[in-house]
Amino acid sequence: MTTTTSSPTTSSPLVTLVGNPNSGKTTLFNALTNSNYKVSNYPGVTVEKREGSLALNKDSKVRLLDLPGTYTLSGLTADEAIVTKALQGLIPSCGTPDLVVAVIDSSNLERNLYVISELLDTGIPVIAALTMIDTVEERGERVYTELLSRSLGVPVIPLIARKKQGLSDLKDAVSKALLSRDTLHKPFAWIPSSYPNRAQLELRANPFEPPQDDELITTIATMRYTWARAISSRVSPLSNQPSVRHNSLDAILTSKLWGIPILITVFALIFQAIFLWAQAPMEVISGLLDALATETAAILPEGMMTNLLTQGIIPGVGNVLVFVPQIAILSLCIGFLEDSGYLSRATFLLDNAMRKVGLQGRAFIPLLSSFACAVPGIMATRTIPTKIDRLITIMIAPLMSCSARLPIYVLLIGVIIPPVSLGGVLSLQGLVLLSLYVLGAFAAACISYIFKKTLHRKESCFFVMEMPPLRLPTARVVLRNAYDAVSSFIKSATTIILACSVIVWFLATYPQPSSIDTDNPVKTTYAGKIGTALEPLIRPLGFNWEIGFGILSSFPAREVFITGFSTVLNVQDDEEHSTLQEHLRQRRTQGDFSTATGLSLLIFYVFSCQCMSTLAVCRRETGSWTWTFGMFGYMTVLAYCASLVTYQVAVRLL
Amino acid sequence: MQNEDTQRFGTECSLTAIKTGQRAVISAVKGCPSSLLQKLVAMGVVMGTEVTVTQRGFFGSPINVAVLGSILSLRSAEAAYIQVQAL
Repeated sequence: MTTTTSSPTTSSPLVTLVGNPNSGKTTLFNALTNSNYKVSNYPGVTVEKREGSLALNKDSKVRLLDLPGTYTLSGLTADEAIVTKALQGLIPSCGTPDLVVAVIDSSNLERNLYVISELLDTGIPVIAALTMIDTVEERGERVYTELLSRSLGVPVIPLIARKKQGLSDLKDAVSKALLSRDTLHKPFAWIPSSYPNRAQLELRANPFEPPQDDELITTIATMRYTWARAISSRVSPLSNQPSVRHNSLDAILTSKLWGIPILITVFALIFQAIFLWAQAPMEVISGLLDALATETAAILPEGMMTNLLTQGIIPGVGNVLVFVPQIAILSLCIGFLEDSGYLSRATFLLDNAMRKVGLQGRAFIPLLSSFACAVPGIMATRTIPTKIDRLITIMIAPLMSCSARLPIYVLLIGVIIPPVSLGGVLSLQGLVLLSLYVLGAFAAACISYIFKKTLHRKESCFFVMEMPPLRLPTARVVLRNAYDAVSSFIKSATTIILACSVIVWFLATYPQPSSIDTDNPVKTTYAGKIGTALEPLIRPLGFNWEIGFGILSSFPAREVFITGFSTVLNVQDDEEHSTLQEHLRQRRTQGDFSTATGLSLLIFYVFSCQCMSTLAVCRRETGSWTWTFGMFGYMTVLAYCASLVTYQVAVRLL
Repeated sequence: MQNEDTQRFGTECSLTAIKTGQRAVISAVKGCPSSLLQKLVAMGVVMGTEVTVTQRGFFGSPINVAVLGSILSLRSAEAAYIQVQAL
């Protein structure tokens, strides 16, 4: 065997798929690679990169890159900019494409030919894959592929990717094109021969660098479409009229009468699923890890390493794994809604209301999911196409009261709010609980409004989307989506979450008290010392160092507050937290834990970002530490100020 | 504003003024930011393309428009840049 020094990324030819969104590009990619591909991110952006290998025959393979769907090469959004860069060979890890397979939806020829016309101008060898010919035939139309091939000057392969028809023809065409590496087509074929300044227009019509002049943009686009229309009407003469495929199901789903009730039902089901159905697997996971920790502690000799393992690492791993059921269920639901086209209908229904607070319709599901848990909620923002809208949604998602806050809410409300009912119907405790949820959501709306006013000005933001056709989702796509979401969460969040768990464990355990008779063993640990040092700062909020310790120890996850608080108070915590609740009630009667302190602590947990998993996933999804610390910073400041006001007002009123 | 346009250009009006179900032909895309213009033209919103408003959201936004065999969803503010002639 000869040794080659070339890196593996450049060893085999690179073939890229380019085409409109919903053109069947991803289905074709899945069919060609047999769903055997790697998902990663393009460097520096959060656009997903799917690369697989395509076996052309027994002994030749090419790398196949599925570029994001785009309507134009003059990259506007992050996704589109990736296509532009990849075609120019400007993405370091990719290399320059040797061949582009242009994916053309034959049921929507004219529109699909626009990006093809830009592609043909680039000089990169192109072959065309004509998808969805079955749809065209069902409509009683047909596409003359030979004629299309001659009009474009490139090979055209008709296929039905879903049924894996035409794939071998496509592979043959790819092999042939890679061997000859000739560009057969003429660039700038769309400029009419009668056009006077042809050479000048060719220079200015560089598809990678669109002209800045609005008039020229319009002129060029009109010419490209005139060309596309001429070809389309020639090769598919029966479909020369834009057919409005009127779909009665679509009309019901988006109707003023039925749209919202259907939407509420769908969302209620999703919420139910992540809130309740994920409960059982989550309990199994935490049960198993608890058992593992207990077993490990029993087997290994007592010591620092054993403690590190049983109290630091194993719970840390548990902190990661416990999110898997929710992420899996939510991504399955979203995958189903997105692939079926319903998500776009939901966006249509909600956009107007969401826009009032500076968001767009697609932000609804991430925010709703965040009531269960912000981690899957933030991951769900991937369906929001505009970067700025997505960023704002990520930033406000943790303000929705998640399920980890519920035990704290219930515990504290049980201590400070008397179990009376208002008018015999409404429980005061329930009312307070509800108002905490409303408070979080209201704050989210305000913050989003502020972000909108400050951020949107810099970046012009618009909302133009194509309504994908309604269809039955492909199980394979939906499952693969969920798998990718879960694995990317585990891969990226584990390091941060594990590291934080170990650090917090260390701070809360060391240095260990020298003698057992110290009045409070926790006070001597680093965390205890920090808590004590922070006391002057948190005193105005009505918190003492013990609460400070509880808050510090709950940084990995909010619900840990209860365990941390129990430890510091020397209370044995149990399943129902009843001992802790009883202890706090006693303290309250002794005047150690006032109603004002309790309220202030409740408000603190509504706003504070005591969840490193949220921060880890925010870092992953925004790709930026600035936004991650920004989230932690603004939420902590908000929590501090709100608690300060609450305590100072409450202490005077109550 | 729409009335002014209607007066100035005769039968021409903004896409927002077109009734649901009514067919129209695009005559121009005017006054919108370049980035939006590029997106719109790439999606087929150019002079001479036939459009039909298929659905409107609450309070008239978003507007769904059939363009070249697919349906685009636009906010009313964006649809206002698109000048059409009713058929």
